[in-house]
Amino acid sequence: MSVFEGFKFRKVSSVVHDLDPRIKFFFVSVLFVMAILFTKLLALTVLFFIPLPFVFMAKVNRQWLRSLRGAAFLAIFIFATNFIFGYFSPASFQGITPPVDTLVEYLVLLERAAAMTLRFVVLIASFSVFFLTTSPDHLGLALQQSRIPYEFCFAFTTAVRFVPVLADEAQTIMDAQKARGLELERGNLLKRVKNYIPILIPLIVNAIRRSLELAESMESRAWGASEKRTNLYELKLKRADYILVLISVLMLLLAVYVWLYVSIPSLTTLLSL
Amino acid sequence: MSVIETRDLTYTYPGVTKPSIEEVSVTINKGDFVILTGPSGCGKTTLCRCFNGLIPHFYNGDLEGKIEVAGLNVVDHQIHQIARHVGLVFQNPENQLFALSVEKDVAFGLENFAMPRDEMRKRVDWALQMAGISELSERPPHELSGGQQQRVAIASVLAMQPDIMVLDEPTSFLDPVGAEKIFEVINELNKKLGITIILVEHRLDLAAKYANHVIVMNKGKIALTGSPREIFTSEEARLIGVGIPKATKLYQHLKKHGIRLKAVPVTTEETADLLREILKND
Repeated sequence: MSVFEGFKFRKVSSVVHDLDPRIKFFFVSVLFVMAILFTKLLALTVLFFIPLPFVFMAKVNRQWLRSLRGAAFLAIFIFATNFIFGYFSPASFQGITPPVDTLVEYLVLLERAAAMTLRFVVLIASFSVFFLTTSPDHLGLALQQSRIPYEFCFAFTTAVRFVPVLADEAQTIMDAQKARGLELERGNLLKRVKNYIPILIPLIVNAIRRSLELAESMESRAWGASEKRTNLYELKLKRADYILVLISVLMLLLAVYVWLYVSIPSLTTLLSL
Repeated sequence: MSVIETRDLTYTYPGVTKPSIEEVSVTINKGDFVILTGPSGCGKTTLCRCFNGLIPHFYNGDLEGKIEVAGLNVVDHQIHQIARHVGLVFQNPENQLFALSVEKDVAFGLENFAMPRDEMRKRVDWALQMAGISELSERPPHELSGGQQQRVAIASVLAMQPDIMVLDEPTSFLDPVGAEKIFEVINELNKKLGITIILVEHRLDLAAKYANHVIVMNKGKIALTGSPREIFTSEEARLIGVGIPKATKLYQHLKKHGIRLKAVPVTTEETADLLREILKND
């Protein structure tokens, strides 16, 4: 059940983990906007390096690399489609007079495809920093303090809480059914999907039963007793949070300025090909 | 002074014709440690659900008769109003913890009451300490053992400072050591804080010594009610299939063979003392 490993969030403390999730999300959103603003490989390369210090400060390098590796297939796909579409409709590209036949023109196309791919990688790189360093508890709290109704926040954290429980249960059911002679890894694709029905049905029935017991327990602990409930924890902005806001705003301003007034050279012109 | 009083309580679940409990009349006094026992399906859990208003408010169905808990008429009050006085701990510890950390779970009820943060913090720490799990406060519940989880569940009910605590087979998912620990915690709540305890239990060997009142149910009705020693030595209890403590069984066995102990024991220690006395006299 390695798929569920990612959900078992452990309490880790670091400068980045302790940042307010709302601020972290703002920072990541600024990166997102910047990645959308720029289309040049050079600018996107600079963007790619911005989340790196956060990765190292939070000591999540390994998980971070793993999520990048997970995105590799999609990245290749984006690269290929961009290149192929560019090849067949090259008119929109500066420095290309169709058809694409010279080396320089091929390089322009390649650079463009690489830039689009890097844009995707930048998005993955920055958002995974957010998710790797924000505990679900914190995230739920951030949702709640952003005025999202408590019922939704509660549903969110409870869902996260029960992922490992359901994973264990799925394993138990699989073992039980295998012990009765169910062969999961047998037959063609369709057959294999069908094999999972005797796993799914008890899993769903159990989940429903579990939810009833949960509801009973919530009721017994005065769910809905007051209009506005309080919370044991509270998110408070600290100095590091203000610094990050400042950094984000400065980054955004700089990006808009560059976008308006500076023309970023493409690699091909820079190398004066 | 009675804290729970039912008169001819009869309840039928929706979509069922046969009532699950019939004409149940019980009186439970303040500060009592009650053991509620009887064969599976005899209506113990149903009765527990009546104590905090899950029946009739959560389950609907058909409730007849009178029930008053902590001075409140259960039918006329919402579950969350009754929850201030009655805490319910369920059988499966896993399904009553919903937060991502222990202390957050313990705070759940207090958050619902909209308690200010400082006061809540004090209450949570106090409840964790009473349950003996202060060191687990930041752990996620799913990483804990069953016994630890059940103690978290007890702490989360205790934090609301109820007058009455109802525990529905809290140890059936636990090993004997874990079970014993739970009983010790419950006993402390009863003796030190004066909380009225209603414990549904099959394994009376471990729990019997703490109780001062035993209620036996059978087929939806109250079969026997009285002090532990009275009930455990009665022929009826044996016929119903109550899990009579081994110590008491030994007492009866000896009695049959003409050896009379001075008192009816419920624990191994008591039996040992009584036997020693007899052997000395011989």
